[in-house]
Amino acid sequence: MSGKRISLIVNGESVKAEVLVNRLLSDFLRDDLALTGTKRGCETGVCGACSVLVDGDVVKSCLSLAAQVDGKTLTTVEGLGRIGDLHPLQESFMAHGGLQCGYCTPGFLLAAADLLSRNPDPQDAEIREALSGNLCRCTGYQGIVDAVRNVAESTHGN
Amino acid sequence: MTSAIVGEPLPQVSAQEKTLGRAIYSGDVKVAGMLHAKLLRSPYSHAVIRSIDTSAAEALPGVKAVVTGADVPERAWGVAHKQQHVLARGLVRFAGEEVAAVVAVSEAVAQEALDLIVVEYEEAGALLDPEGALDGGAPKVHAEGNLADEINISRGDVEAGFAGADIVHEATYRTHSQYPGYMEPMATVAATDGTGKLTVWTSTQSVFLARQRLAEALDRPVSTIRVIQATVGGGFGAKIVEERSSVIAAFLATVVDRPVRVGLSRLDDIQSGCFSVPTRIHLKMGMMRDGRIVAKDVQVLADCGAYAGLAPEVMLVTAMRSDNMQRIENVRTKAQLVYTHTMPRGAFRGFGGTQMSFALNSHMAVMADMLGMDAIELHRKNAIRTGDVSVHGWNIGSCGLPECLDQVQAAIGWDEKRARPKGTGVLRRGVGMAAVMHVSGNRTMGNWDGSTVVLKVNEDGRAVILTAESDMGQGANTMLSQICAQELGIPLSHVTVQAPDTDSAPYCLGSIASRVTVNAGHAMLKAARQAQGQILEAAAEKLGCDADELSIVDGVVQSNKNGNLFAPLPEICRYHIFRRGGEGILVRATHDPQTVMMDKDHYGNIAPAYSFAAQAVEVEVDTETGQVRVVDTYLSDDCGKAINPLAVHGQSNGAAVQSIGWTLYEHLQFEDGRVMNGNLADYTMPTAESVPTIQSGIVESNDPNGPLGAKGASETAILPGAPAIANAVFDAIGVRITDLPITPEKILAGLAAKEESQHA
Repeated sequence: MSGKRISLIVNGESVKAEVLVNRLLSDFLRDDLALTGTKRGCETGVCGACSVLVDGDVVKSCLSLAAQVDGKTLTTVEGLGRIGDLHPLQESFMAHGGLQCGYCTPGFLLAAADLLSRNPDPQDAEIREALSGNLCRCTGYQGIVDAVRNVAESTHGN
Repeated sequence: MTSAIVGEPLPQVSAQEKTLGRAIYSGDVKVAGMLHAKLLRSPYSHAVIRSIDTSAAEALPGVKAVVTGADVPERAWGVAHKQQHVLARGLVRFAGEEVAAVVAVSEAVAQEALDLIVVEYEEAGALLDPEGALDGGAPKVHAEGNLADEINISRGDVEAGFAGADIVHEATYRTHSQYPGYMEPMATVAATDGTGKLTVWTSTQSVFLARQRLAEALDRPVSTIRVIQATVGGGFGAKIVEERSSVIAAFLATVVDRPVRVGLSRLDDIQSGCFSVPTRIHLKMGMMRDGRIVAKDVQVLADCGAYAGLAPEVMLVTAMRSDNMQRIENVRTKAQLVYTHTMPRGAFRGFGGTQMSFALNSHMAVMADMLGMDAIELHRKNAIRTGDVSVHGWNIGSCGLPECLDQVQAAIGWDEKRARPKGTGVLRRGVGMAAVMHVSGNRTMGNWDGSTVVLKVNEDGRAVILTAESDMGQGANTMLSQICAQELGIPLSHVTVQAPDTDSAPYCLGSIASRVTVNAGHAMLKAARQAQGQILEAAAEKLGCDADELSIVDGVVQSNKNGNLFAPLPEICRYHIFRRGGEGILVRATHDPQTVMMDKDHYGNIAPAYSFAAQAVEVEVDTETGQVRVVDTYLSDDCGKAINPLAVHGQSNGAAVQSIGWTLYEHLQFEDGRVMNGNLADYTMPTAESVPTIQSGIVESNDPNGPLGAKGASETAILPGAPAIANAVFDAIGVRITDLPITPEKILAGLAAKEESQHA
């Protein structure tokens, strides 16, 4: 299998690597960069646990190749916020019961971030539609929808 | 006292590390020198393994070991039935059973090597349908026959009850198997070290039950094994003791004497089970004109698949638990559990309760109609009450079922919606409800249902809790932390719960039978009060006053009599150590509830408390496509006392959606015993878009045996969804679905049959 040199920005840091051309982006992030916040849940692009942002758009990293993100800017859950400086979505998921076991949470956070960047004031139906590429088995989605709506509302001051 | 912590809707104590993506699940654990394993599964439901040629796989560069059934310990493991081995030995009993494993330097190499293993099978006749399992000519799953368990229970005089009944109704119900669908597929890392100890990081609901099983399967002393619980990405019952991949991972580590990781793919996870137990339930009930149930006859046929596991215990719940929800005297049950050549089925949230809840609540709705009585009224009429002793000997210390019924009746707009004219258009709406009960704890294992908590208070006044009860996302650690913080008068952020570790934590049974809040919560309460007592004694000595007049408020020990007498908690904790004969604060408390194990007749007060719930839903049925959509749902949970309302609502809402999935969308499909939809695209769990706003309410019945009044929450909430939806479908279109799932095909067939009978 041939390799490819890639150069990209991950969570604000420059990364250069040599990857096999068939290396999945999810494996590259988890195993090569030790960014294990990106989860593997189905490896078929259904559950969304592996979602990351590529140039601001949400992408399922189990359906992408590392070679495809050459030159791009990536945000994984580790790049969303940090202790003492959490992303508003992280705060809101915590406050509204938007997570339990937490396995799906990184994916939902990034899908929600993608939604709010495109549509800062979504209706509930739009939130549900935007998050329907992600599965959660714990919350019944209610806490997640509440959390996303709350961030949108507080940003809009209404 | 400190500002209230118990009873507040606080974020879970694990929420920050999880939203940061920094919680470590088993699949994230990396140990130096770690190898990777992949498992080869049988393509046949029933076959003799004639030979396995591993030579080509072993020759592949990067392969460290290829292991088959010939290499595994002879000793069989299991719950009551010891019938499984680390890998199949000579015979496979279901399609998906593990026959070989490859350990290699990477998952890719291990996967490639799997394809090089040549297994010669001799296919045998397979028993795939439980209905024929007990026929003489049926293929045998085990040498002793296909009956895994049988339960017979009889109370009162059932025949006399039926003879005196004003109405009698009987029907047969069928429930299908549900995949737990936790988002984290099973993953385990196991490693041996230079002392000979085997350490296992895994996704489990009980580290001590996991250790016990590993000791049995690997045939070695328990103390040579250390099990550490990584963050668990959901369990729902399947991660108690029935999954098999952690056993295989542990064995492989002993073979190669190096760390081995087994991370299942989703297909692997689905093929290996553990799904819920499918049942056929025949129910016959007699009632008086006023709605009183006077006789009940139950026949259950349940399918545990190839191995019994926990399924006998599950079937016992199906057979008798819901009897305790009602004031009945005459009941007779015969339940049979049979083997088939299909994947093992077993524990699933609700532990057999969902199956009977579907039958009972469907039946109650039908009989309410027969009587011309409202279904909620009929439930109220028969509901067990606080202070009652149930037909099977359960002491009902608290029962909030009537209040649950009131809540859902009001919230869904029951009276108005039931009274509205029946729809005649393409889209028709209807409402339905169901009522349920569950245990909080269960005295089944060695006449002990206790829990032990070790509490350390450090020299800075902050606390560390050691327990082996498991947080799998449901919030056990948050519950313990809240009780601890409140009792010690310190902020929640000053409490840490250690991950369960069999080498350092006290013995615990783990997260099963909704027992953690009621039992571990109690142990926590005792431990915190004990620590508080020691702190106040030390403070009294230091401050020169009586301990009785002291309390801890917001991290300060102060006198209730003299405002000038106070000391910061850290100062007292240091004083507790640094004095002649001193020591760090380290207390231990155990709580074993005053419950009674069932006798051989299944009679006995098995739990310290019993929880109740009710749910009402509104559905919309598309009479052209057969699609059923839940448009509104409200579930009320009597959890005794909500130590954390945010967590209780989370359990109720999650359960409501999991039951919507079971009822309408999730349908495991087999062909010749092979799973045909072993992926999340074809096994369709509900998405955010497919469910409505999920509402839930809390009833606080303050159980006298619960810690601060609390009982279990979560399992109760999975029980009412399916029959509530089936009853709402009937209300909408007059079609009674008695076999789950409720598919568009069944709706259309039901509508067609109804049309035909009207024209006949």
